[in-house]
Amino acid sequence: MSSQTQLEETLDLSKFFDHLWVTIVWDDPVNLMNYVTFVFIKLFGFSKEKANKLMMQVHTEGKAVVASGSREEMERAVAQLHEHGLWATLQRDDHGRS
Amino acid sequence: MADPKSAEITITLSNDELHILINLVEQLLELLGEANFIHHYQSDDPFAQLMFAAMGNIQSPVEQPEDPVLRRLLPNAYADAESSAEFRKYTENSLRTAKQKHLFYLRQQLLSAVEKELVKADIQVTDPSAWAIAINDLRLALAVRLDIEQSSYEKYELMPSSDPQKPLFAVYFWLGGLQERMISNL
Repeated sequence: MSSQTQLEETLDLSKFFDHLWVTIVWDDPVNLMNYVTFVFIKLFGFSKEKANKLMMQVHTEGKAVVASGSREEMERAVAQLHEHGLWATLQRDDHGRS
Repeated sequence: MADPKSAEITITLSNDELHILINLVEQLLELLGEANFIHHYQSDDPFAQLMFAAMGNIQSPVEQPEDPVLRRLLPNAYADAESSAEFRKYTENSLRTAKQKHLFYLRQQLLSAVEKELVKADIQVTDPSAWAIAINDLRLALAVRLDIEQSSYEKYELMPSSDPQKPLFAVYFWLGGLQERMISNL
């Protein structure tokens, strides 16, 4: 069956954990709903439907996870969201709940 | 940059509207440019630009800005202060520059309309996306100053016209309409 080497390869946890960062967009009373949807489509290439759903989640629940990946990728995403005036932060993934 | 489908927006602004908008843009540019050597950066002189780049490195910010408008426009990227400071150190200057770029573009479009000295000027919007982004920053800045909340429109409607803040509220909501127009064509 599987040798120790194979097992170690499968269990390369550092690689796995490197991807456990998320970008969160927070609700604010200023950004127009259409604008938030436009930014999601522009930055993440989401379909209109998906962008709209996430925008509504931000609006009704106060926040939404809009991207996940490595810390570096999430820092880039947050910087771009800030450039577009959205209020965004990144954090380690806690399975979408905090 | 502008997609041909969306390149066809023309908006008509009165002379008053143009001046209000230019004034807001310039105020925000000034605020964003503080401690950022904007005058050098703006210069065409390659030496001045080089100096700006060098200064930028020395002046990497780590503290959150004091002005609440800048705190909103250049927010913390992390919940914890230490990671936020580290992030800010490497990104805040480029974030300021990106915002300035959109505002400079908007200012340029507005100034070319002012030069015509008409009561109402038509502006050919060449990049609605950049307009929407710049207007969004203007709205965020005004919203901080005016303490805008979800219910602010009702509050505005009930405000007596003698209230000195009423005109600014009017500008804020007017900008929302203008931004909506830019987005609807994207």
